Amino acid sequence: MANTIPNYQNFQLFIFFSELLGKTIVDPEGNAVGRILDLIINIEGTYPRVTGVQLRLKSNRRTVVFSCLDFSFSDGHFTAQFTGEDFPAEKEPVPSELMLKEALLDKQVVDTDGAKIRRVNDLQFLIANDELYLVHVDVGFQGLLRRVGLKPLFGFVLHALFDYEMADQLVSWKFVQMISSPDLLRLTIAQNRLAQLHPADLADIIEELDIHQRKAVFNALDIETAAETLEETDPKVQVSLIEGLSTEDASDIIEEMSLSEAADLLGDLSPEKAEGILNEMERDAAEDMKELLAHPEEMAGGLMTTAYPSFPPTCTVADALKTIRGDIDDLDLIYYSYVVDDHERLLGVVSLRELLAAEPEALLSELMDTRVVFVNIEEKKGQIAADFFKYGLLAIPVVDDDEQLKGIILFKNLLEVIAAKLGR
Amino acid sequence: MGNVVNKKVYGFLHAFFNAGRWRKLWIFFALIGPGIITSNVDNDAGGITTYSLAGADYGLSLLWSLIPITGVLIVIQEMCARMGVVSGKGLSDLIRERFGARITFYLMIALFLTNLGNTISEFAGIAASMEIFGVGRYFSVPLSAAFVWWLVVKGNYKSVEKVFLFACFIYFSYIISGFMGKPDWHAVGSAFLHPVFRMDAGFLAMVVALVGTTIAPWMQFYLQSSVVDKGLKADDYPFTRLDVIFGSIMVNVIAFFIILLCAMTLFKNGIRIESAVDAAQALAPLAGEYAALLFAFGLLNASLFAASILPISTAYTICEAFGWEASLDKKFLQAPQFYSLYTLMIFLGAGLILMPDMPLIRIMFYSQVINGALLPVILVFMLLLVNDRRIMGKYVNGKIMNVISWLTVIVLMLLSLAMIFFSLFT
Repeated sequence: MANTIPNYQNFQLFIFFSELLGKTIVDPEGNAVGRILDLIINIEGTYPRVTGVQLRLKSNRRTVVFSCLDFSFSDGHFTAQFTGEDFPAEKEPVPSELMLKEALLDKQVVDTDGAKIRRVNDLQFLIANDELYLVHVDVGFQGLLRRVGLKPLFGFVLHALFDYEMADQLVSWKFVQMISSPDLLRLTIAQNRLAQLHPADLADIIEELDIHQRKAVFNALDIETAAETLEETDPKVQVSLIEGLSTEDASDIIEEMSLSEAADLLGDLSPEKAEGILNEMERDAAEDMKELLAHPEEMAGGLMTTAYPSFPPTCTVADALKTIRGDIDDLDLIYYSYVVDDHERLLGVVSLRELLAAEPEALLSELMDTRVVFVNIEEKKGQIAADFFKYGLLAIPVVDDDEQLKGIILFKNLLEVIAAKLGR
Repeated sequence: MGNVVNKKVYGFLHAFFNAGRWRKLWIFFALIGPGIITSNVDNDAGGITTYSLAGADYGLSLLWSLIPITGVLIVIQEMCARMGVVSGKGLSDLIRERFGARITFYLMIALFLTNLGNTISEFAGIAASMEIFGVGRYFSVPLSAAFVWWLVVKGNYKSVEKVFLFACFIYFSYIISGFMGKPDWHAVGSAFLHPVFRMDAGFLAMVVALVGTTIAPWMQFYLQSSVVDKGLKADDYPFTRLDVIFGSIMVNVIAFFIILLCAMTLFKNGIRIESAVDAAQALAPLAGEYAALLFAFGLLNASLFAASILPISTAYTICEAFGWEASLDKKFLQAPQFYSLYTLMIFLGAGLILMPDMPLIRIMFYSQVINGALLPVILVFMLLLVNDRRIMGKYVNGKIMNVISWLTVIVLMLLSLAMIFFSLFT
C-alpha cells in the first residue's frame, strides 16, 4: 500500500530559471549531452511553453539550439531529457519565440497589476505533462539573492537575528508586459497588457522608461489611450513623444485630446511641427486650436477650452439635452450649459442637474442663473484659482473685453497650477 | 519714419540671433551641466589634498602630468556621455542587463563601500575647512549633513543643477589664490616643456594618486545618469561632448592653480604638509591671509559640493541596478531602499567624522584602494558596452577611438594596480 503513494515530500511543481541554467541534459540513453545556456519560449497563449533549449555541447563545446525536450521530476531530481527519434534536431527560429535570458532576465518589465516597472530577477516555471510553462516573474530581493547565490546565507542570518523569513515576490505572467525592445512589443501586440493600466499610471510608467522604450510603449497604444496618456504626461516628455511621431499620427492623437491640453502641447512644440500638425487636423478643430494658441499660457486665455455647450435663451431644455447628447464626444465639459445672446455675450448658466430636473419644453431663459461668475480673458491664473476656491465651481467661463464668451476653464486644467503650490 | 527704424533694428537683431553661431551658443548653455558638474565634483576634498601635496612635495615638476590626465578624462567621460545619450539608460542599468545579477551585485557592494569612503572624506574636508574659519566640527558637520539632505530632498533637478553650476564658479577662488602666490611664469613654462619623470616610489605614487583622484568609478555612473536625467537626445550629442570636454579642461585648470600655488609657496620654502588644511594654514604667512582663506573656502565648497552628490548618486545607481523605486518624488514608504541607502550614506559619512578616535586616515586610505581596484573593472565593462551594437547602434566606438580608449584603460589599470601596491606595501 505504502509504495503506491507518491512521495509528496520530493514532489515539486515549480522550478526557477536560475535553477535550470547550467543543468545537464541527457539523451534517451542517459548520456550527458550538454549544459543549459538558455531556454526558448513561445509567447503565444496565456502561459508561454518552453519549446527549445540552447545548449553548450559536451562533445565540442559548440552552442546549439534544440527542440524536443521532456522535463520531469523523479526521486526529487529534475531531469531534462531529449525525446523522439529525430534527436538531435537543431531548431529553426520561429517569429513568436524568444530567448529568455536575452529578452527577459535582468530586463525591465511592466507589472500591469501593480502599475510599476520592475526588474526581472528570476523566472518561475510550472512543470506539467513533461512540459515547462512560464508562469511567474520574480521581482523580489530573494530572487536576486538566489541569482547571486547568497540566498542560503541571507536566509540564515535574517532568520537567526530577526526571526524573519524572506518571501518571494512573484508577478503572474498574466500581468507582465515585456518592453525591453520594440520588437518584443510588436510581438506581443495581440495580447498588449498595457491597456489594462489607467492612463495616469501609464503616463507615470512612460516617464520612467528610457527614450527607446518610451517611444515603443507609446507607439503600441491605440489612439484613444495614447491621447489620454499624453494628457497625463509631463510636458517635456509629451514633446519628445510627439516629435518622434509622423505629423499624421501626431495630429490623430492630438485631436483626441481635450482642447486645452492639446493647445498647451502644441504651444510647446517647435513652430514647424505645430504648424504641420495643425494643417493635418480637421478644419474646425484647427481653428479652435489656433485661437487658444494665441493666448499666453499663464492667463485665462491660455488655460481655457472652447469645447463647451452654449445655447440661445430661447432654446428648450429638450433641444439643449439633445444637442449635448449629440456632441458629447467633442465636449470637454457637460455639467454647465452657457446661455448667450446673438452677439455671443454671456447671459446666464444652467447646470446639467437643472436641465435634467426641468420640464422638456421649458426655456433656458427661465431656468438660467444670471449671477454668473466669469473671468476676463487676460486674468492671471492666481486670481482664477482664488475664484475657483471661493465659488466652488467645476468650470469658469472666460469673456473678452466686449463680454463675449470665449471659452471656459476647467477645474482640472487649473489643478496643475494649484498642484505646483502644493509642493508636488 | 519711426517704423522704418524699428524695422531696421528688428531686422538687425533677427539676423544677429539667427546667425547660427549665437543660436548654437544659446543651445549649448541650455544643454551644459552634466559634464561640468561631474568634473568639478571630481575636484573634491581628496582631489584638493592630492594637488596640494603634489605641489608642496614636488614643486612644479608634476605639472606636465595634467595634460595627459585631461586627455584621459575626456576620453573616458565622452564614452559615458555618449552611452547615456544613445541608450537613454544609466550605466548600472546597462551593466545589469548585459552582465547579469551576480556581477552587478558585487559591483554595487564595492561601489557602495568606495563611495561611502569618499563621502567620509568629504565630511572630513568640511570639518577641517570650517575649523580654519573657527567653527567646531560638532557644529559644522551635522549642519552640513542637514543642508545636504535639505538641498537634495527638497530641491528638484533644475534648481539643484543651478546651485551646483554656481558652486562650480566658486572653484575660481583657487585661480585667484593661485595668482596671489605670485607665480613665476617662466618656470611654469619650462616645467611643461621639460617633463620630469623619476622612478622612485614616492614620485610614482604621487602620479598614480593624481590620476586616481581625477578619474573615479562613481563619476562614470553619475555622469551617465545625469545625461539621461536631462533627457538629452542623440541630436544634442555634439553639445554634450563640448560640455564634457569643457568640464575636463576646467577641472585640470583648477588643479593646475592649486599645484602652482603650493609649489610657489610651500615647496619653495621647504614646508611639508599632510593635508589640504595644513596647506591653507601654511599659506597665510607666505601668500597672505586672503589667499589662505580663499583656499580654505574653496575646500569647503568642494567638500560640500561632493557631499551633496555622492550619496544621492550612489542611491540612484544601486536602486537602478536592482530595479528598486528610486525617485525623490516618491514618499519614503514607496521607495524604502532608495531613502535608506541615501540616509545611510549621509549618516555614516557625517557620523564617523564625529566619533572620537576614528582612524579617518585609514578609512580614506582603504577607500582609495577599493576605488583603484574598482576602476579598471568598470572601465572594461564600459568599453564592452560602448562597443555593443545592440545598445549603441551606429554610435559604437570607431577604430581609432577603440585603440585610444583601450590603451587608456590599460594604462589606468597598470596605474591602479600600482596604486594598490603602493597603498598596501609601503
